[in-house]
Amino acid sequence: MILTEESVRKIKEKLQQYPQPKSVILPALTVAYRQVGYVDADIYREISHIINIPTVEVAEAATFYTMFAKKPRGKYLIQVCHNISCALLGADSLIGYIEEKLGIKIGETTEDNLFTLVTVECLGSCATAPMMQINQDYYEKLTKEKVDQILEDLRSKA
Amino acid sequence: MADDIKDKVKTDVPTVTFTMDGQEVTVAKGTTILEAARSIGIHIPTFCWHPKLKPVGSCRMCYVEIEKWPKLAVSCVTEATDGMIVHTESDKVKRGRRATLEFLLLNHPLDCPTCDQGGECELQNLTFEHGIDDSRFDFQKNRFTSDTDNTVFDDKRIGPEIILNRNRCILCYRCVRANKEAFGEYDLGVYERGNIAEINAAPGQQVNSPFSGNLPEICPVGALTSVDWRYKMRVWLAGKTPSICPYSSSGSNILIYTDDNKNLIRRVTSRCNDDIDDGWLSDITRYGYQIANSEERLQTPLIKKEGKQVEATWDEALEVICNRFKEITEKKGKVCIGGLISPSLDNASLYCSSKLFRTVFNNNNIDFRTDYRMLPNKPDSYFGMLCNRSFRITDIDDSDVIVVLGSDLIREHHNEYLRIRKAVNFNNARVFSLNPYSVKSADVAQAEIVYNIGTDEIILVAIGLAAIEMGLVEQGLAQGFKEKVKLGSLAEATEVCGVSSDDVKLVARALAGDGKVSVIVGELITRSHGREAVASALFNLSRLLGIDKKGQMAVLARYANSRGAEKLGLLPIPTGAQVEMLKAMWGKFPDAEPQTTDAMLALMHKEEISGGLVLGGNPIMLYPDRQFITEGLEKLDFLVACDLFESETTELADVVLPMSSWAEYEGSYVNLEGCNQVACQAIKHIGQSKPAFEIIRLIAEKIGTSLFESDEQMATEIEQLLSCEPDNATPDNFVDVLPLSEEVDPDFPIPLCICDDPHHTGALTQKAPSLTNFTGEAYIEMSPDLAARLEVSEGQPVRVESPVGKIVMPVKVSKHIDNDVVIIPRNFSQIRVTSLLMRKKRVDRVRITKVDE
Ligand code: SF4
Ligand code: FES
Ligand code: FES
Repeated sequence: MILTEESVRKIKEKLQQYPQPKSVILPALTVAYRQVGYVDADIYREISHIINIPTVEVAEAATFYTMFAKKPRGKYLIQVCHNISCALLGADSLIGYIEEKLGIKIGETTEDNLFTLVTVECLGSCATAPMMQINQDYYEKLTKEKVDQILEDLRSKA
Repeated sequence: MADDIKDKVKTDVPTVTFTMDGQEVTVAKGTTILEAARSIGIHIPTFCWHPKLKPVGSCRMCYVEIEKWPKLAVSCVTEATDGMIVHTESDKVKRGRRATLEFLLLNHPLDCPTCDQGGECELQNLTFEHGIDDSRFDFQKNRFTSDTDNTVFDDKRIGPEIILNRNRCILCYRCVRANKEAFGEYDLGVYERGNIAEINAAPGQQVNSPFSGNLPEICPVGALTSVDWRYKMRVWLAGKTPSICPYSSSGSNILIYTDDNKNLIRRVTSRCNDDIDDGWLSDITRYGYQIANSEERLQTPLIKKEGKQVEATWDEALEVICNRFKEITEKKGKVCIGGLISPSLDNASLYCSSKLFRTVFNNNNIDFRTDYRMLPNKPDSYFGMLCNRSFRITDIDDSDVIVVLGSDLIREHHNEYLRIRKAVNFNNARVFSLNPYSVKSADVAQAEIVYNIGTDEIILVAIGLAAIEMGLVEQGLAQGFKEKVKLGSLAEATEVCGVSSDDVKLVARALAGDGKVSVIVGELITRSHGREAVASALFNLSRLLGIDKKGQMAVLARYANSRGAEKLGLLPIPTGAQVEMLKAMWGKFPDAEPQTTDAMLALMHKEEISGGLVLGGNPIMLYPDRQFITEGLEKLDFLVACDLFESETTELADVVLPMSSWAEYEGSYVNLEGCNQVACQAIKHIGQSKPAFEIIRLIAEKIGTSLFESDEQMATEIEQLLSCEPDNATPDNFVDVLPLSEEVDPDFPIPLCICDDPHHTGALTQKAPSLTNFTGEAYIEMSPDLAARLEVSEGQPVRVESPVGKIVMPVKVSKHIDNDVVIIPRNFSQIRVTSLLMRKKRVDRVRITKVDE
């Protein structure tokens, strides 16, 4: 079992809240995601077991949603916006800079499992472009120096 | 489809009238534009729409223009409404379809020259019809590459018989929908979305249901292809012959594809008969043909000389048969030859056998029921009455209440299982599954009742008592019913069966209602000793609740021509009407004692039957008491066995004759609802084999009587017998239900059921490589709980012992089973499972122990 007793209990609680067990697929995936940090076939199977829905239905729902990570991510998930406003203000070169600095490509994770880099579409913070989100926090009006500073701080915190 | 719609119009459902391509059309309200178009012969191209599935509107190929609508409409999900003006061929429509095709082809590899679907690809055909010759998409196409297999084609084996190529897929979802909706299987899904959406097997699973072969067939492109047919030949070079499935009692309509130069069958597809198979084939029907091509087929007659079977000519073999049969008759009189005939053979073969025994050997020693135990040796059994009732497959479709008693449908009646699913999906039917162990096919049931094994008749009594207790029946009937049962109350009956009375009440209420009813009795009853008790209990229940007036109740025939065998009188005791008819045709009918399979075997033991004829079917493997039948056959002075392959039965024979498979001659077969269908000859006879009916006629001629003056005479006689409709008789009153209980030996506590594997039927299919790819060897299936108690896990061997035999085999743990009944398939000759059985038992019981490796 990957899911903890606590997670299983939470999923079972959700089952009480919906008339159809099928409706619990996404809440259950969320619970699992919060605990594990990603979801994969083993987790689909465990969820399918708990809510008694075929594994395939869980897998279909999970893969439809790109925000459920499908493999382990670093401690910090760096999501750099590369949509229009950010792009106009240099998002692409910023992304290149981060790639170079961390020695990884988009979608990859550093060897020390600290950082995962992904690009995202507009995060609604165009006025402060270019910007990125790391875990739950926004970092705005980015420059290379700022990025250096931010990564440095996170590294020392870790 | 067209007929359905017309029917709807006839029976005053509200209708709508609209115009399509200038033509006025009236259809039932709720009909889609696409269905309406099809009903008047207007063709609208489609991909995702499938006549047997609910529409989803995902491919956009079926565009039509509706006046006053701002955009093109997808006709497969748009209902026709009054006054609509629809155009199916306007320029706007054509542009729309062309654009759809351009989109569908964005990521398509266009690898038609190496694609197996070429020639029967709907994408290829529609592109040919509507497409443009160029694409405006000049970016890198999205490519799926498989990490395990050859990457160029992304060929991935997602099941024993299916290869998936995701690049060719147009995401019509037919496969996933059919799998979930029509078959109730969850081993295939669609993952991700947008450009990278893909079809694939469920994580860690194989697409291996008994219906999996339908998926490549309904895939409109070459994304799902069948391993069996792949790259064997181009489809347009194959010969095509209409035929009938020789394994299923529904008689699925099939098309046989042949390589005529090599005289081989290459594949089997569906001929879509809505009334019979609804367009779906079980894998057994689809891949079972492979036995005809098998290298192991018997090629010439064999004669036993000094203990060894050696090749011989037909003349020599017939000579020996004639001499020995004559010798035996002279020595022992007329009861001395017995025949076990396979009910998978065509009408002519069955009828000739009956005529041979009755007019040449002058006896009634003939039976087709070789896998039944303790058959009644007297006429007028209630079970016989129950078998003689009419049944229609399509009546399942609109039944409101369906009760399945003693049938693991997915192992014995694949097509009927799909029918029942259909009734649930499209007609909200309520299904009740009553079985001694929990079955997979109960997934559609409103309630599944798992009763104690061996209490099949009591559960029916319990339903009656429940109806009485709830006050659903009138007093007089209730009185009559109660007098015939030994059990006073519902509580008492449910206790014997080990079921909850609430569930039983649910069934009782449903059956007592006004809805149309189908009651289906399956093999777990038919083959068992309890059949007579069940039949009487069912007749009582029917009288109590008026079941026979509200629908149908039937024992489902098991093999391709079991129903034909009954109708042709290939039983020791034909019905009165049949005897009259036969007397009139033959001018005589033997007055000898009728002998069932059991009785014949007993007479062989006593050496009163000394000659035997086995026509197909390998009875040693199927008869529920291996020792008894083997000893019986061994005692014979002379045994002739005709079959496609060598088997434990032919091994004992003094003369073995090679029989042709069903594809090698034209024959007709009667399906479980009594419908007589023809299978045409698809290939030439293999080796020196001959059709069974020809063999029988040759034997008769050699002995000195010709069975028929002409082929026409044979045909007329058969036709006359088949024209007899079931009499649908019921007993005049409530009848005694005589339950049959037996002591349980504490040393052998675990009940055993012998069934077919979902991918096999009888003894022959183990020669079809595709089917053995699904299951190749025997296993003992049990609940997770029992496996845990025995401390064994999946695949580990256990020793299974009964008072008469012992075998070792691997365990298969099935989650859906939740009691201590174990199941062993009988289809694999390596494991002689019938050596555990005792014919006189109602329930076989065994002891299971772990084998230390
Ligand atoms: S595999 Fe075939 S049937 Fe399934 S979605 Fe793709 S094209 Fe349709
Ligand atoms: S474009 Fe980057 S936040 Fe809106
Ligand atoms: S057939 Fe109508 S959308 Fe596919």
